[in-house]
Amino acid sequence: MDRLTRGVRLISLACGIFAAALIAAAVVVVCQMVFLRYVLNETTIWQTDFVTYSLVAATFIGGPYVLMTKGHVNVDVLPIYAGPRARWWLALFAIAISLAFALVMTVLTALFWYESWINNWVSDTMWRSRMWIPYASMPVGLGILSLQYIVDLLNLLTGREPPFGMESTSHIPVIPEIEEART
Amino acid sequence: MSPTTQGAIVLAVTVLVLLTGAPVAFALGAVGIVFLVLFQGTSSLQVAAETLYSGLYDFTLVSIPMFIMMGAAIGSSPAGRDLYIALDRWLYRVPGGLVISNIGACGLFSALTGSSPATCAAIGKMGIPEMRSRGYPDEVATGSICAGGTLGILIPPSITFILYGIATETSIGRLFLAGILPGLLLIGLFIAWTLLYIWLKGFRAYAPEFRYSWKEKFQSIPKVAPFLLIVAGVMYALYGGIATPSEAAGVGAALCVLLALVIYRMWSPIAWWEILRSTTRESVMILMIIATAFLFSYMLTSLYITQTLAQTIAEAGLNPWVLMVIINIFLLVSGCFIPPAGIILMTAPILLPIITSAGFDPVWFGVIVTINMEIGLITPPVGLNLFVVNAIAPDVPTRTVLWGSVPYVLCMILALVILSFFPGIATWLPDYLMGPVK
Repeated sequence: MDRLTRGVRLISLACGIFAAALIAAAVVVVCQMVFLRYVLNETTIWQTDFVTYSLVAATFIGGPYVLMTKGHVNVDVLPIYAGPRARWWLALFAIAISLAFALVMTVLTALFWYESWINNWVSDTMWRSRMWIPYASMPVGLGILSLQYIVDLLNLLTGREPPFGMESTSHIPVIPEIEEART
Repeated sequence: MSPTTQGAIVLAVTVLVLLTGAPVAFALGAVGIVFLVLFQGTSSLQVAAETLYSGLYDFTLVSIPMFIMMGAAIGSSPAGRDLYIALDRWLYRVPGGLVISNIGACGLFSALTGSSPATCAAIGKMGIPEMRSRGYPDEVATGSICAGGTLGILIPPSITFILYGIATETSIGRLFLAGILPGLLLIGLFIAWTLLYIWLKGFRAYAPEFRYSWKEKFQSIPKVAPFLLIVAGVMYALYGGIATPSEAAGVGAALCVLLALVIYRMWSPIAWWEILRSTTRESVMILMIIATAFLFSYMLTSLYITQTLAQTIAEAGLNPWVLMVIINIFLLVSGCFIPPAGIILMTAPILLPIITSAGFDPVWFGVIVTINMEIGLITPPVGLNLFVVNAIAPDVPTRTVLWGSVPYVLCMILALVILSFFPGIATWLPDYLMGPVK
């Protein structure tokens, strides 16, 4: 059980690092594009596509990392003010519905990716990029997101983690700005 | 089943699912998928994956992580502290200068970071202890920072405006410009209220005994001026039509990271990872909501819920201003519970046809929506800034922070009223600099 949690967390962390690298690459490519366009007056071909695909991929692949670090915003009024028992049930329902969505979308995006792969779809831009590459980020990211949710669900059911990461007596949401303000 | 009944069911279920505390992104996606299948059968799922992807396939969205990185680079450096010190050194002799420094620093820092809780945390850490040590009442010290922090989403560059611009296909450059004068109006109202309140309380904000030398005053400028220049440069590139928002923000982000490295010597890989990490967390969170909100909107449109709602309201023949008051109350209430990104992406596409058919300007409405979202950040039960300020000054009772924030909420409502009577405060600058909307 602990091994499963650690393994999935490691995968989620790797996803986070990969997503961060994609965002950093996007910044570098935007700067290169601006330099080519506005300083050298040259036309650009692949940059716009690359940057857009990078961010689509960063979104889906970074999803599990953001979930692991409790970064997906939610409406936390009931969890904050509910008692420990009600909070546990809310967390169970919240995880169940999100996990169901992630699983269904993993299957749907995998089918979509497969279609692009067998039909060899290419973009209708000048770059003519193979679409299966950016599309692949969706089933991969959502699949790992599902895994992260399964681990969260198991940890909630076995009492290893408090619901919403909040201590039973606390009525304060878990967000980095509050942590930072405390230090 | 009529689209109106379907709309009512969708609304009720969405609210219920959101209230469980499920992430906004996945809650919207799940509701979208469930209702597509319920009302249109499983065949409608064929387009779900493509819809999710096309929600993100837009070069304009690139500006979101770029602006976030700009803010993260500045936010993770001690620039907030230096900005505060600089303003304090220049304004400390002015009566009530500390109030002006605090709220002014919030306004400037929010222009740099675009984030309300980050502004609150950065300026509050310096401002709240300083105000308390100089004898200002606790409710003023905490309330003014809570309110000043909210300016982060109104003063450009603002992620909230980018989201509104994308959701309603309104020019982001125009929205940014439209936020400037209302932002200054709010800063003015906040300062005026604070000074009036402390004066009424009999507190006289005398200038402190000590004096800063001219050398100390000028020494405080070089560290913060380059960041302000970059943001000004990004804005200039945007409005001069020189570059698109994504290009300007990309270069701005790279420059801000470089400046943080050079000025604050943030050479350690940990510092770089911290910037990238917070950029990734915030960007992924927002972009994921955009993707699933697209799926949610697709469901609403394909069930004719959006169109029917707009038509029903248009046919009801309501006075446009009565309609605006109702929309404002709706936004205020939702703002108290739902984070700004969620509200804007969910409601803007629905509200826009209603607003434009009632004759309101979408750019002006963007400002109105944003001020409503600001109010949500400092009102219970989940006002994020209240929690941040509470963490900075844990010995100040939450009641005091809350009561201290109430007058600033009233200032914001007053700003909404002023903007309704004088919409030019929002629309004049973009029309003047970019020409009227064609």
